[in-house]
Amino acid sequence: MDLRHTEQDEHFRKEFRSWLDSNLPQEMRTREFWADHSDDEAFEIRRTWEQGKATAGFAGISWPTEYGGRGGTPTMKAIYDEEMSLARAPHTVNPLGLAFLAPTVMAIGTEQQKKTIISPLLHCDVIWCQGFSEPGAGSDLAALQMKAEPQGEDYLLNGQKIWTTNATHGDKIFTLARTSSPEGGKKHAGISMLLVDMHQPGIQARPLTQMTGAKEFGEVFYTDAVCPQDEILGGEGNGWATAMLLLSFERGSSAISQYVEYRHQWGEVVDVASRLERDGRPASKDPVLRQRLASALVDLECLKYHSWHVLTQTSQGKDLGFEASMTKLMWSETFRKVSDAYEAVTGVGFQVPDLGLGHSLDELTTMAMWSRSCTIWGGSSEVQRTVVAERVLGLPR
Amino acid sequence: MQFQLTDEQRALQDAVRSYLRGRFGPQQVRELYDSPDSDGVPAALWQSLGEQGWLAVLVPEEHDGIGLGLLDAAVLAREFGAGTVPGPWLGTVLAGEALRLAGSSDQQAAHLPRIAAGEIKGAVALLKAGSSASPSAAPATAQAGTLSGRLDLVEYPSVADLLVVAAQDGLYLVDPRGPGVTITDLPALDRTTRLGTVVLDGAAGEKLEGSTPEVVQDLLDRAAVLVASDLVGIARKAVTDTVEYDKTRVQFGKPVGSFQALKHHLADLHISVTFAEHAATYAAHAADIDAEDRQLAASIAKSKAADVAAEATGAMIQYHGGIGYTWEHDTHFYFKRSKRLEAAFGDGAQHRERIARLLIDAGQQGAAPDETTASTTGLEMSVGVA
Repeated sequence: MDLRHTEQDEHFRKEFRSWLDSNLPQEMRTREFWADHSDDEAFEIRRTWEQGKATAGFAGISWPTEYGGRGGTPTMKAIYDEEMSLARAPHTVNPLGLAFLAPTVMAIGTEQQKKTIISPLLHCDVIWCQGFSEPGAGSDLAALQMKAEPQGEDYLLNGQKIWTTNATHGDKIFTLARTSSPEGGKKHAGISMLLVDMHQPGIQARPLTQMTGAKEFGEVFYTDAVCPQDEILGGEGNGWATAMLLLSFERGSSAISQYVEYRHQWGEVVDVASRLERDGRPASKDPVLRQRLASALVDLECLKYHSWHVLTQTSQGKDLGFEASMTKLMWSETFRKVSDAYEAVTGVGFQVPDLGLGHSLDELTTMAMWSRSCTIWGGSSEVQRTVVAERVLGLPR
Repeated sequence: MQFQLTDEQRALQDAVRSYLRGRFGPQQVRELYDSPDSDGVPAALWQSLGEQGWLAVLVPEEHDGIGLGLLDAAVLAREFGAGTVPGPWLGTVLAGEALRLAGSSDQQAAHLPRIAAGEIKGAVALLKAGSSASPSAAPATAQAGTLSGRLDLVEYPSVADLLVVAAQDGLYLVDPRGPGVTITDLPALDRTTRLGTVVLDGAAGEKLEGSTPEVVQDLLDRAAVLVASDLVGIARKAVTDTVEYDKTRVQFGKPVGSFQALKHHLADLHISVTFAEHAATYAAHAADIDAEDRQLAASIAKSKAADVAAEATGAMIQYHGGIGYTWEHDTHFYFKRSKRLEAAFGDGAQHRERIARLLIDAGQQGAAPDETTASTTGLEMSVGVA
């Protein structure tokens, strides 16, 4: 047991923190700043900032240097995540490209793909979307119906994707499509992962409004959209395997950034509780609310311990495999618990942003609602529980 | 970053497992259940605990102990929980900790080597029954070196050679067989322990002069961490055995473990137990390195472990069906032991209330900017304390 990091890792922390101190303006760390900008404006501000960060060498922390990465250790990546959250730096504009597509291209892409995809993605010159879910294929991804039919040297794509993050900001979309009919009813067969240009007449992206009112995701319609036949990742008909490989890159995630973020949220909820009156005393003195807040804190700290566990494993080069489903469940369900405590603390006041505390509670309320999405996207909690039961505990199908 | 047991700690874990597998399994636990009038200390088991050094882990080397840390003791406690091991191990280890933390060198020299060798058994009475784990809940009153008071639900008082009692001004050593001490045995639901009421009526007490309220709190936290570790061992065993059973038990033509109602709950339990394991491990380590958040960590561990063990041992009965409700199955060993320990040294709700006092009332909620938040994140903190 030794929770210290190496000197080299700590040196990286200092260096990155000092860069953030000088390059992340204070105003960008406040919620008011982002509330003052439209979604589109905010996206461009974040992109510009992130480009500067990449140019300074603080991107692709654990990627090999040959791909423009920093060649750092898994611990440095965790430190990077932690420092970003501590500084309240903006979230990446290219999450699907950075976390999923890039490592997949490094693993199985052609030399040409490595050259043309990775660097523009790292520098946020090309924003990538993920075209997996369809109206009829959510948790059951293999039920997807998107068709890609050969025409000359291209595929013509027809169908619809949905829940697409950054749908209206994306430049390209890695799309699961059926390039041939499933053989013998095997629905995982005949799928390919196509790299589709979103700037073309055959692609129409529409924003979807979330329950929070934000428009972070959308739907993408393909009407005779064109994709050259050599723009396939992982080979024709290998789309399912490619998608599984791609999703596996989330496994190394330690959840430390989620911990930092929700621990901050918990502190804000406690602050609200100590200033709101409940039955003639501060809500933070209500014994039932205290239990709920403490209970959420317990799981938060356990999430931190778990991130140490994950980091210990990944630092030793171990693949967590299906344990990754546990990490997803842990952070998303803990986030819900903190958010539920907030809803209980504000009570009837949850309905309005101004409870006379001198600042708006809009962002905390939005965050509480956002927690409801996190137990759905990226594999719903129900899907993850099935994975844990079958793949980790070995219960029969 | 090494958030895992060392090779030596894993070897210790293996040694206990292997011992229990070969020499003290469910059959031996059952024999104890079938003889409620025995003293509850299987002689061969107790002798082995002494021989293996499992009573000496926390005793300093200068007093013939091994001088290891709380995490090493927690490794033992976890395996003892998984094996529902009876006997006054905890009381003896805690009596030793009281001496180590607060005793004079003479007191230490008189008792610690004998504790380490398994020559004497200890018992502790640190709290009024049902109280939160605080020095202010001392069960005895001291007056001019004599102690009075009723000590409820003390574990193994009848076999103890040494009793550590908390009074309003600190800890005292009491000879359980001395004048002014009356012990009445009580039948306990969990037969892997023995309980009794100890009435002190002007009994002679020998003060442990170092027992400030801080030291008593430290002792209570160490107790909570060891109990949390035992509970974690129980909970893991309950989940593992239930999963194995439900893989083979067939109903409606399928193993019942294939049904989603069970699967999802067992998956959640696996995650909760994993959380509790981490929490107990960190809390022990935090005590060993005197981390800033050691009190918080102890309460996190105890509350999480208590909740998880309650849920896991309950699920163990439920997901075994009718057989799980019988005397002949082992399920009730775990359930009953869990119930006893869930409440020991502060239950889940009491420790959550303490967490609220530590973090909410103290205004350390970390809502304000980065300084505060930074100090509450583990990666930061671990560097700070090292």
